[in-house]
Amino acid sequence: MADNAAELVSLTIDGVPLKVPKGTLLVEAAKQIKQEIPVYCYHTKLGPAGLCRVCLVEIEGTPKLQIACNTPVADGMVVRTQNAKVDAGRAMILELLLVNHPLDCPVCDKGGECDLQDYAMAYARGTSDLADPKTSKPKGVDLGPTIVLDEERCVVCQRCVRFDDIIVGDPQLVLKDRGVRDMIATASGDPYRHNFTGNVTELCPVGALTSKTYRFKSRPWDLDRTQTTCTQCSVGCQMFSDVRFGVPLRTMSVEHDDAISDGWLCDRGRYNIGFYDAKERITQPLYKRGDTFMQISWDDAFALWARAITDAIHLSGPQSVGTIGGGRLTNEEAYVAQYLFRALGVNNLDWRAGRQRQATPGSRGGTLADLERANAIVVLGDSPADRAPVLDLRIRKAVKRANATLVRVAPLDVSPVPSIDVVDVAQAAAALPATASSIAVVWDGIDAAAVERLLDALPENVTVRTYITSEQGNARGAETMGMHPRFAPGFAAAENGLDTEAMLAAASDGALAVLSIFGANPALRHPNGPLVRAALAKTPFVVVSELFMTESAKLATLVLPAKGAFEKNGTTLNATGDALPVNASLQAPEGVLSDLEMLVGLAEQLGVNLPAQEAVHAAVIEAIAQAPAFDLGDHAFRTRAAQAATIPADGLRVAVHSNVFAGDGTSAHDERIVALRPLAEALLSTDDAKVYGVSSGDRIDLEAGGLTLHNLSVAVRAGIARGTLVLVDGLATAPANSFAPGAVVRVVHVRKGDSTLVEA
Amino acid sequence: MPVVKVLTDGIGEVDLRSIDVYRSRGGYVQWERAVRDLTPAAVLEYADKSGLRGRGGAGFPTGKKWSFLPGNDKPRYLVCNCDEAEPGTFKDHMLLEFTPHLVLEGILLGAYGIGSHHAFIYIRGEFKEGYRIFTQALEAARAAGFVGKNIFGSGYDLEVTVHRGAGAYICGEETALLNSLEGKRGEPRLKPPFPAVAGLYGMPTVVNNVETLAYLVPILKNGWEWFAAVGTERSKGYKVVSISGHVQRPGNYEVPVGTPVRELIEIAGGLRPGRTFKAVQPGGGSSACIFDEHLDLPYDYESMAKAGSMMGSGAFVVFDDTTDFVKAAYNLVRFFAHESCGQCTPCREGGHWLEAVLERFVHGRGLRSDLDMLKRVSSTITGLNLCALGDSIEPFLKSVINRFPEQFEGKLIKETVTA
Ligand SMILES: Cc1cc2nc3c(=O)[nH]c(=O)nc-3n(C[C@H](O)[C@H](O)[C@H](O)COP(=O)(O)O)c2cc1C
Ligand code: SF4
Ligand code: SF4
Ligand code: SF4
Ligand code: FES
Repeated sequence: MADNAAELVSLTIDGVPLKVPKGTLLVEAAKQIKQEIPVYCYHTKLGPAGLCRVCLVEIEGTPKLQIACNTPVADGMVVRTQNAKVDAGRAMILELLLVNHPLDCPVCDKGGECDLQDYAMAYARGTSDLADPKTSKPKGVDLGPTIVLDEERCVVCQRCVRFDDIIVGDPQLVLKDRGVRDMIATASGDPYRHNFTGNVTELCPVGALTSKTYRFKSRPWDLDRTQTTCTQCSVGCQMFSDVRFGVPLRTMSVEHDDAISDGWLCDRGRYNIGFYDAKERITQPLYKRGDTFMQISWDDAFALWARAITDAIHLSGPQSVGTIGGGRLTNEEAYVAQYLFRALGVNNLDWRAGRQRQATPGSRGGTLADLERANAIVVLGDSPADRAPVLDLRIRKAVKRANATLVRVAPLDVSPVPSIDVVDVAQAAAALPATASSIAVVWDGIDAAAVERLLDALPENVTVRTYITSEQGNARGAETMGMHPRFAPGFAAAENGLDTEAMLAAASDGALAVLSIFGANPALRHPNGPLVRAALAKTPFVVVSELFMTESAKLATLVLPAKGAFEKNGTTLNATGDALPVNASLQAPEGVLSDLEMLVGLAEQLGVNLPAQEAVHAAVIEAIAQAPAFDLGDHAFRTRAAQAATIPADGLRVAVHSNVFAGDGTSAHDERIVALRPLAEALLSTDDAKVYGVSSGDRIDLEAGGLTLHNLSVAVRAGIARGTLVLVDGLATAPANSFAPGAVVRVVHVRKGDSTLVEA
Repeated sequence: MPVVKVLTDGIGEVDLRSIDVYRSRGGYVQWERAVRDLTPAAVLEYADKSGLRGRGGAGFPTGKKWSFLPGNDKPRYLVCNCDEAEPGTFKDHMLLEFTPHLVLEGILLGAYGIGSHHAFIYIRGEFKEGYRIFTQALEAARAAGFVGKNIFGSGYDLEVTVHRGAGAYICGEETALLNSLEGKRGEPRLKPPFPAVAGLYGMPTVVNNVETLAYLVPILKNGWEWFAAVGTERSKGYKVVSISGHVQRPGNYEVPVGTPVRELIEIAGGLRPGRTFKAVQPGGGSSACIFDEHLDLPYDYESMAKAGSMMGSGAFVVFDDTTDFVKAAYNLVRFFAHESCGQCTPCREGGHWLEAVLERFVHGRGLRSDLDMLKRVSSTITGLNLCALGDSIEPFLKSVINRFPEQFEGKLIKETVTA
């Protein structure tokens, strides 16, 4: 391969001589001389298919026109991409494509950015001998929760079909029937649904596949486009935000974002943009008096907040003040947050509000390109498919295209690509091929002891690259900026403060006076829900910055309306340590401030001088430049109260699974993606289903230590360990953290599918 | 009359479905000899030197095809193509039903010759009876120890899997067949890679026609010289020709390759009394017609190609002066449009468009501009497709439009003259 890449071939395209690596396809070679060859079925990321035949070129010495998309260059080849013969060939193809194409342009969402319109203008004859009626096919087909399909507009390039197969590894879309009657559909007839469906609307060269969220909304030339970084998860995909009249109408991938997104977006990142103008959005500070919130001014909010902090420090010292959050802030905001609180002597700082302990992979962190090139990949913990969807596509690429071995430790989901699923870390190490010279470890940042054992068990003399998929988009940035009880910015040693666990423990003992929570939702996401609720109830002054009344906001004293990522500027640090720009494309509603603006307001009241913008910027860059010396599972990140899980004898242990669409913030308040939200499900092993006499679709109530969780829908799944009950993380209707960690949960009621109630 | 009995030997006389009858006439002797005494390379040599060419349509030299297999240690597969759906072809159907052990022995020899341990036969969905008969034959051969593990105590294992298609013409195209065999949509694959390099399940694969493989048995028995001695310069041996259309005794006739076209018509009983010859389509629905001036040509690959047509799979359809060539063209174009898998723009849209226009002609509603359109569209879609189906639409249509333009003009809308 390396030899081939080095070997150059000389050819002439349209009279221009050029040299390209052996094996290059003509369609790619032509790009070098800026000559665009029209394509429908070919796509750089999907490869050639040879179906549409619009890419015709003339090759000297070959009588028939050839397709440029599947013809590799050859030494001395003389190619013409434009002449009378080529033009006639292309004109014929376009004439044929238009035989049955409906005259939908005026009502088609693709109008203005459609390859059929564009090529028809550029290459078609402009007239046709067609004297017969066009075929009619289904229009407005509801393909699934995200996509509408117009069968008549389909040019049968099969890009969508190949995307599912080649990129996702979940071949749901197929071409059905044949000839001129062929149609795109899911093979099963079930709704088209996986975490990446939206990409097919971009791959589709025509208006056959369109997003429900963007249907009949705009023309491309009426959109204002801003490039930014998706902050919904820690991958940090580059995306365009397309806005019209102040409304975010759609997001689009950045095709050449090879380093990070590889040109794709997941459906959460793509579609969860409808919350910005949700009517439930908080737009004024809310202050709790008794049981009710009242609207107050920002001035009052800052004054109350500052006074609470000053009083606490005065009365009980800075250790009575705590701050949680940072994973949803920009780097600049996280930096300023820790700066401000540390300036007050407050060291109780922790970005960690959920299950995750560590976000920075440390000295052996790798790039996404490294991940794609690994010989073997070990996934430990929660599934990257739901925590970092587009990163998971790299894993699939490595497995599907480079035959990497995928080993998953105690997975809770089914892999779309071949994987070796093992029950523990020891087995994982044993499952690795002896020939693997580079191993990637993808960890969810949760079980530090397990990852340490895994690293110890890996063979020596292999290159190991480590990755952490985070619960929040900028977890790594917050950690790097020093929103951590043991680290100052750039992982410099800091005066030790309490971590989240210790703050919650202190709070429930009545030892915290003020707790400020920035863009985090521990009440729903922290593994010990009962402890969080007790702690927040006991703390006299709890501040929460949020867009919506989350479970945590409801327990606050002061709720501050915050800007979302499309409404502010800054930078973010993704899972692989790339500092990426966050650019505002929307105007925030009046009365809403960014966390940075809130911190500035608070600092003013407290009389703390914050560094100027340029100084913050420089500090952020410097912090990111520090190379951390630690590894995965380092003791600096461990919690002081780690609990060991054992298999219960007479009940079930709860295991928690991420879902990309869960959460009670932005995804819960976006009516465009309601259908994508996970159900309140309890996943059980086949064995346990037998023990409890339940089957999929039944509803159960759970109980442990006097706490209950009602009306979960049972889903029986093979591959789940006996004694384990899997709940989806982050559902306010069925919080996975309803019980204390390690609690043995009992099934108390079973309602069969036919509604009969059975006492367990 | 040059009718011979090689593959057809015994058909209609004895019950060749019985393994005992087949063996009593020398059946499976070549198989035993190959496994015991011959190397795979020696079997390949027979195929190669005999000059045997593919009988599935393309006429590719069989030995050469086998030699394209790469010398790696990946599993390799032999696939017998019994999807026979080319309009006018019905020879594989007959061989499968009436001499199933010969077909099986050919498959076994082919598999051995390419060093395979697993052979497949893909049987057209409509051949229900053939499927039943062949499966029984396979079981009998397995019981006799000719298929399975350690054949003839040689340590050589060979498994044969029977697969029934679902009745799509396109699944006869070898890469569509492989997709279908893998459980995928029956649509041709983009080549390269060719099946010899990455075929069934991505492994090196040879796809051969039923008749091609069956001829291996007599070639091994009689020697390659015997086969190569018959025929013309580059078209050797014998061929089962399916003769149909306006002849008095349509049927399968086995003849030496190179038998003159005129003689073939006579073998099949000649034209009906009082009728005159108009055309013959010599190589299945995909081939162009040949006419009076071609009647003395030898029926072989080269001569048919020179006449602008092909021998193809040996479907020989005769047309006399009662033929409505507009209807015939419509019928064939409709067939191809219906059977197109629909992947390629030219084949999918072009076939459909031509069908729609010809349908109007059949009903006397042709437009003068359509005459140009029929020629222009059918010729431009040719050569631009992924597989040969798309290139099969033009030949017959073009040959009869050019030869019998008056038949097409006669179907134009009559201009109504108002008094
Ligand atoms: C549309 C189409 C249909 C075909 N159908 C058949 C068929 O039914 N049987 C067959 O043997 N070959 C068929 N072929 C030819 C096969 O692709 C392939 O060339 C053949 O099976 C190779 O065997 P041979 O070399 O023994 O002829 C078809 C080809 C095309 C393009
Ligand atoms: S729906 Fe779009 S992407 Fe899919 S085959 Fe049709 S034109 Fe191509
Ligand atoms: S993978 Fe993550 S960063 Fe990429 S689009 Fe999805 S949510 Fe956004
Ligand atoms: S030529 Fe026709 S049948 Fe062959 S692959 Fe293309 S569309 Fe399918
Ligand atoms: S782009 Fe080349 S055939 Fe479609």
